[in-house]
Amino acid sequence: MLKFVTLFISATILGCTYGLISLSYSLIYKSSGMMAFVNPDLMTWGAFLGFTFYTLMGLPYPIAVLLTCVVMFCMGFAIQKGVVRNLIKRNVTPMYITLTMFAMGYILQNLSQLIFGSVPRKFDSIIPGLKIQLAGIQVQPEAIICVGVSLLIMALLQFFMNKTKLGTAMRAASMDPMAAESVGVDVSLISGLSWGLSTTVIAAAGILCGPIYSVSMVLGANLGAKAFAGAVLGGYGNMIGAIIGGLAMGFIETFVSGYISSDYKSLIAYIVLILFLFVKPTGIMNERAIQDV
Amino acid sequence: MLQRKKNYLLPAAGATVLVLAFPFLANAFGYTYAITLACYVQLYFIAVSGYDVLFGYCGQINMGLAGFYAIGAYGSAILNEYCNIPIILSMIIASVASCVVGAILAYPCGKLQFHFLTLATIAFGNIINQILSHSPGGITGNFNGMYTQRPSLFGFDMTSTTSYYFFGLVCVIIFAVIKYHVVHSKLGRAFSAIRDNVKAADGMGINVRLYKVIAFAICALFTGFAGSMYAHLVGFISPDTFTQKQSVLFLTMLIFGGTTSFGGSLIGVVALMLVTESIRTLTGYQTLIYGVIIILVVILLPKGVFGELIGLKNRFAKKNRKHSGEVV
Repeated sequence: MLKFVTLFISATILGCTYGLISLSYSLIYKSSGMMAFVNPDLMTWGAFLGFTFYTLMGLPYPIAVLLTCVVMFCMGFAIQKGVVRNLIKRNVTPMYITLTMFAMGYILQNLSQLIFGSVPRKFDSIIPGLKIQLAGIQVQPEAIICVGVSLLIMALLQFFMNKTKLGTAMRAASMDPMAAESVGVDVSLISGLSWGLSTTVIAAAGILCGPIYSVSMVLGANLGAKAFAGAVLGGYGNMIGAIIGGLAMGFIETFVSGYISSDYKSLIAYIVLILFLFVKPTGIMNERAIQDV
Repeated sequence: MLQRKKNYLLPAAGATVLVLAFPFLANAFGYTYAITLACYVQLYFIAVSGYDVLFGYCGQINMGLAGFYAIGAYGSAILNEYCNIPIILSMIIASVASCVVGAILAYPCGKLQFHFLTLATIAFGNIINQILSHSPGGITGNFNGMYTQRPSLFGFDMTSTTSYYFFGLVCVIIFAVIKYHVVHSKLGRAFSAIRDNVKAADGMGINVRLYKVIAFAICALFTGFAGSMYAHLVGFISPDTFTQKQSVLFLTMLIFGGTTSFGGSLIGVVALMLVTESIRTLTGYQTLIYGVIIILVVILLPKGVFGELIGLKNRFAKKNRKHSGEVV
């Protein structure tokens, strides 16, 4: 029973992280119909920036989180405006955009290694001395913050996309850019904002899970690849699906490594991904069909 | 027409002599490492040619190429190590196995659209990588890797790199002939039709699903064979080689050189090999430089080096014809 509770708690933390990552994939897919292969490395950057602001510069944690989010928002905006938009204007095939994403991921990963070193870094404790007992198990306060803030971000995003004017404009711009343009939506600006929002979400995932797992250059690459499984499981592009899928992946992975063997935890994630693509590509939430002839 | 053919004869003969004399020249000047690099060029050329059939002609993406590469390499090594099958035979069996896996993977993949096909093939590559590093019973040596041997054919030992070079040359010619016959046949035309417009191809009575499976299988066969050549060339294989990066490397080679041609594949492979070799000493900056190269290629050379060269030549010819007053 104790083992189950321990696993349950760590599964929730991992699931919330995956949920945020999947959410950022969904945002980009919804806003520009692309797969964000660069996002995992942006997550590493989020974690490293948070580490710099919080541990190296000694700023309070909430301010460090906010600063990281602002910087990463600008970065996402710049990537959309500087690279993606240019490529779309040149009318290149989707293949080239995908390849460019991988290339940007490589560059970001290597830069993070050059700047922050290849040794995994550890965050200072956020609330030193605080010990929380949950069902008889000691829990890091960082974990509670991670889960709480993740759930808050998910709820806010859901509200923002469905109930506000800007969110509606974002959905419109992705659904039919020309029609959106004709009713007065600045599609170019809006898709930049969507990218910014998406990178903010993934950077938040990085800085929230940074204090729990140690921060290294492969943090994003490791988690990000498996979060694709979460996104597909929930229905790629569906926001609620991304959250459910991410949480489900967290549970599947943690319980497989807890009860079977930790050797198979990555394998099971990819198997879930490929099975869902083959058997039910629309995911749990039955998102718009993604099939060819 | 006859005149034109004569023009090609001399350079072709020159190239043949150069290719045949290359290892001896390299040995004479003391650059023995160049022969190893040439062997790499050969096996990468085979893999990239196979990918050209799938991506260049059929328009399908496969980001899990490293998985097939691994099946070829590990398949051949394991068959040779545990079943004592002679190496040439084990290479063939392993590449056929890779081909079968490719076909099995392609069948459900056939209905997926571009982005999701990318995702599915990435997942496949990662699954193979995970199996290699956590294999049941440790038959792949897991993270420690495996040692392999050089092949011998009819008592002709290929332990020297020079002899392996000639063996590679024969393989390259065989696979180039296969590719030539595939793309200049009904198959190749069906592939191009699928690439250009899936719905129109379907309407014309092309069995899209079947042809996609065939394209995937051909690609897997080529890549698997390249993988087995790699395994017996370097003598040591470990899961580190068969990662996502390897798949992206193949794709970059293909796109750098230009698709739907032999020249493009060759230029891409040679150029990327030279780049990889020259940045080997810059530890810490490798992936950075690599990423910058990919972005530059995508922005500056969207048709690839070979494609741009052909374009230039055509433009030049057009201009000349205009000047001489011919009807264009």
